[in-house]
Amino acid sequence: MHIMEGFLPWQWCVIWWIVALPCLMLGIYQLKKLLDIDREALTLLGVTGGFIFILSSLKLPSVTGSCSHPTGTGLSTISFGPWITAVVCAIVLLFQSLFLAHGGLSVLGANIVSMGIVGPCVGYGVYRLLRDTSVNIYITVFLVTALADMFTYVTTSLELALAYPAETGGFVSSFILFMGIFAVTQIPLAIVEGIVLALVFKYIVALKPDILIRLKIFSEEKINAARSEC
Amino acid sequence: MAYRYTLELLAGIAIVAFCALFLYTSATMSGAEFAGSDNVGSGLIAELSGTTVENFQPLIAQWEPPSGEIESCLFALQAAFGGILIGGVFGFWLGQARRRNVE
Repeated sequence: MHIMEGFLPWQWCVIWWIVALPCLMLGIYQLKKLLDIDREALTLLGVTGGFIFILSSLKLPSVTGSCSHPTGTGLSTISFGPWITAVVCAIVLLFQSLFLAHGGLSVLGANIVSMGIVGPCVGYGVYRLLRDTSVNIYITVFLVTALADMFTYVTTSLELALAYPAETGGFVSSFILFMGIFAVTQIPLAIVEGIVLALVFKYIVALKPDILIRLKIFSEEKINAARSEC
Repeated sequence: MAYRYTLELLAGIAIVAFCALFLYTSATMSGAEFAGSDNVGSGLIAELSGTTVENFQPLIAQWEPPSGEIESCLFALQAAFGGILIGGVFGFWLGQARRRNVE
């Protein structure tokens, strides 16, 4: 999902930075507040952030004959919401643009918006929708993770289509072309990522249910039900 | 109890299916290079704007890993850092859970 350095006109770089910065500041503020109240949240942040580090470094082959990487933002989105997730993503993306030439400093804003903000926001919406229903929590985790991953790539396609509308057909036809590259490649990856992170969530539920209840991520009844059934 | 390992099983099936899909694609699709979708995307940008990929210069000067080896080394470091975080915290939680059970 990285837009490469130099491949986005500077006007768009500025626009996406303007979108990203307030979200990052809100995330840093929320993070500070959370850690002031509850130091133990740091352990959960370590696990959920760790998965963003690992999964975003795995470039996996896919059905379109090209490689792409999962984002791993689902767990962090469920646990801490999109803004704190954006901060973790910004750290990963900064590392990748400084040392790996994946993305770059000028396009960092655009990449943070796709991986750290829009993807997690969609996931968070799904989580809020399903949290208080009777839907199984692992299905919730699966859906949040898979959709956060998919919408990261849909957003990258959108950002590129806005900057490079096709000569015939304009924005829409160019959006379809970029979706063909980014989103289609991502479908199998998103499904596998969703299942794997649901499994990880099972281990978190088994080992540390009290932190999930204390941070009000899921209700005590749902956590207890999940503990007894899987 | 019968469904205790449903998620493990599903994850196993998903990973095997994913590998099978990869083997099938690489065997049947001609011209599948498995390049990064980032690069394929850059190619399309060049096509849409009617220039070549080489014409795009970084807006902010950028260090590039001199070779694929160094790049994979740095990617491995990134993953290792994540792995250490996850393993460390899960170990810490396991220890906490043990101690609670003993007390």
